Amino acid sequence: MSAARLEAFLAKIYVDEDSRERFLADPRGEAAKAGLNEQEIGALEKIDRAGLILTAQSLQKKRRRLSGKKSNQI
Amino acid sequence: MIIENGGKKLIRDRVGLGWRRELAVGVLSHLDRIDVVEVIADDLFDAPRGERRALRALAAQTAVVLHGVSLGLASSIPVKTKLLEKTARLCEEVNPEHWSEHLAFVRGGGVEIGHLTAPPRTEATIEGAASNLERARTVVGSAPLVENIATLIDPPGSDYDEIDWINKVIDLSPSDLLLDLHNLHANATNFGYDAVEFLKRLPAERIIAVHLAGGKWVEALGERRLLDDHLHDVPDVVYRLLTELAAVVPNPLTVILERDGAYPPIEVLLRQLDRAREALAEGRLRQFEQIEKEAA
Repeated sequence: MSAARLEAFLAKIYVDEDSRERFLADPRGEAAKAGLNEQEIGALEKIDRAGLILTAQSLQKKRRRLSGKKSNQI
Repeated sequence: MIIENGGKKLIRDRVGLGWRRELAVGVLSHLDRIDVVEVIADDLFDAPRGERRALRALAAQTAVVLHGVSLGLASSIPVKTKLLEKTARLCEEVNPEHWSEHLAFVRGGGVEIGHLTAPPRTEATIEGAASNLERARTVVGSAPLVENIATLIDPPGSDYDEIDWINKVIDLSPSDLLLDLHNLHANATNFGYDAVEFLKRLPAERIIAVHLAGGKWVEALGERRLLDDHLHDVPDVVYRLLTELAAVVPNPLTVILERDGAYPPIEVLLRQLDRAREALAEGRLRQFEQIEKEAA
């Protein structure tokens, strides 16, 4: 169950800018609020911040590129 | 497939291109230089009948494989049955040589990420992926090949490194591997491991297909990462990895060049396919020389 909660938490901070900013300001507090266990909270406190920002930027660009566009209509 | 050529046994690899609407004219007029075409499955799930008919017509002219992007199989969350059923219907209609998906998670807690992301590499996602892959095989009728993905972040909460996590998933699942060599190169560059050593630790007999692509550097907080964007030409290092792979993999490989935008003239892409064939031939020659040496 906790594994699913961690995936849900990651999905949120990858996609939602407000959630990401709240998390970066207080990783422990936000992770605890999401019901993650101590090991997961510890991992999130040590998150690779550059990687998180780049992931979020990349996902945003890809979503924008794909929205309304079918890349492979026959 | 193994063919004889002048008394020498050669493995017959195939090289092709990802189908994109912008490339359609170029692809259809050069099928003599494209052995296989990879079509993104998801865009066709709800496509009008005409489009699906066109896909069947394409499949009648050349070898077609299907590639999925939205199942989110590498997750502790069960895969959506509806998406598997759509995949099953498409496979039934098109009868592709194989279908493939990513070792990625794409949704969680009701949030659709909208693209591929690396899950935490844990026992839970290994078991989740194995269970989802088994379910995919049951619903679709065949197991997908699974693809390693590129990531800009080392997934938080991971207990395994990438190679051990992939090997565990493969070991527990019915799926063989679609190895994306640019994803491998990007992750190796970004997280400081040796891509050739990574290759050596994969089960060579489980590698069936390959993706090639290009990327660019991106930067945040003063750190640079290599992004797999499918918008640039295949770099030399990826062809070298293809040679290394062909030197050890026993099966014939289906190699697909992926390009998702900034499209160059088709001739440029065809030259990249030729370059891939040369890289494969060099690796295969090394493999046979090694076999002959061991037999002597």
